[in-house]
Amino acid sequence: MSRETPSWIHRHSYNARICHWVNVLCFFYLLYSGIMIFLHFPELYWGKVGFQGYPAIFKLSDWGISWELAEELGDRRWGRNYHYMFAWIFVINGIVYLTWNLWQRQFYRKMLPSRTEMSGENFKAELYNHLRFRPAQGDAARRYNVLQKLSYLFVLFILFPFMFLSGIAQMPAFTAIWPELIDLFGGRQTARTLHVVATVLLVLFLIVHVAEVFVAGVRNQMRAMITGKYQISAEEGK
Amino acid sequence: MTAPAAKKYPRRKIIAGAGALGGLLLTGCDTDLHRPPVLRNGLMGVADTLTMASQRLLLSGQQLVQEHDVSEITKDFPVWNQSDPEDEDYQRLKAGAYVDWRLPVSGLVNSPVSLSLEELKRMPRRTQTTMHICEQGWSAIAQWTGAPLISVLEAAGGVKPQARYVMIDAYGGWYEGYDMFDVVHPQTILAYGMNGQDLPLGNGAPLRLRVERHCGYKQLKFIKSIQVVDSVEGFGRGTGGINSDFGFHWYAGA
Repeated sequence: MSRETPSWIHRHSYNARICHWVNVLCFFYLLYSGIMIFLHFPELYWGKVGFQGYPAIFKLSDWGISWELAEELGDRRWGRNYHYMFAWIFVINGIVYLTWNLWQRQFYRKMLPSRTEMSGENFKAELYNHLRFRPAQGDAARRYNVLQKLSYLFVLFILFPFMFLSGIAQMPAFTAIWPELIDLFGGRQTARTLHVVATVLLVLFLIVHVAEVFVAGVRNQMRAMITGKYQISAEEGK
Repeated sequence: MTAPAAKKYPRRKIIAGAGALGGLLLTGCDTDLHRPPVLRNGLMGVADTLTMASQRLLLSGQQLVQEHDVSEITKDFPVWNQSDPEDEDYQRLKAGAYVDWRLPVSGLVNSPVSLSLEELKRMPRRTQTTMHICEQGWSAIAQWTGAPLISVLEAAGGVKPQARYVMIDAYGGWYEGYDMFDVVHPQTILAYGMNGQDLPLGNGAPLRLRVERHCGYKQLKFIKSIQVVDSVEGFGRGTGGINSDFGFHWYAGA
């Protein structure tokens, strides 16, 4: 292996790039249609049952948007149709992505943090770099950093499956197909509420994700996710 | 919206459900369990088919939906959509305590009948405490008592071999269609009782459908008549139900 760093590397595979952009489309439509559905019943409950008049744990009307206004803003017919359509695209895209990456051992190679990366010292250093908005350079820029790795793993293997499961747990057919799943969530309304909570977490991830693209250099990052080519800048002081 | 030239999918036979229910002549009746009567255009139709086919595959054992303990019954079960049809006929029947109310069962049945509420109540009955899930997001638990839809079709001599859908009309202009897969399910009942009492007005007196495994919009209230058909054409806008006429998915299991 040569010690000198080439200025260009191949950052993202075809599979990763295609799946990423399909996912962007799905994310947007699922979020938007989900909001449209939610606005038509803008309250959240805990447990098995919940309806207008039942004690709610969250009411949009407490935040200045009345039930009537929310209903007017929402569109559950459009929302439901598109939510399921893009849920299918999301699921199929996810299966393609997972299969390819497992096959190619990409998760193992790119996302699994090493023992040294998981050390407290490295964590502190990474966190410090993040808080100072100092993107990785040189050799370090060839890999995902540890916070990046962990957040991708969390989204891919915790949040996305959670969205899928809390979604199907709300479907009436699953009261016959897999009632234990609904019980596992603690009831149909809890599943619905947690579906919304996980949505908020995903939106927070998205905000940080996009912000990091800008911090690390939007041109280089976008080019890498479109063409695969990624420029490595020389490390400071070298 | 016109019906797209839908591809012919292999037809499946209902054997499991009808066999378990004993005696009904639905065995051998051909129907397509994996797609709605009318497919929507484009990607939406693909997604609809994926949803319905995958769920029907997972439901192929005709499993029962989860039944809840009576202690979990919801007080103040919500009243949604129409709560008292303005229909003149309905108001007259209501004023007469539904004594003159009749349920005509016609179409592709061997001997059409018209059943009174008393006759329905003398039929084999089923009581189930289940969760009602509204497509809008709410859910509530109630106990329903009624005659299995399949028993009612048996009372009409069973269905003819070409029967594919059961269309149910309701007062107030509502109607919905159901395929044989749901018709033969043991928990598909015509309910005249709720929580141990006669079905209350707001919940669809005197008779409503419980087709568990579906969203609330398939649980037709204020039932007027039943017709067994081989095609949904000629009903409303021809999509197989009032909800799909207005843009909802005909299959409401998701």
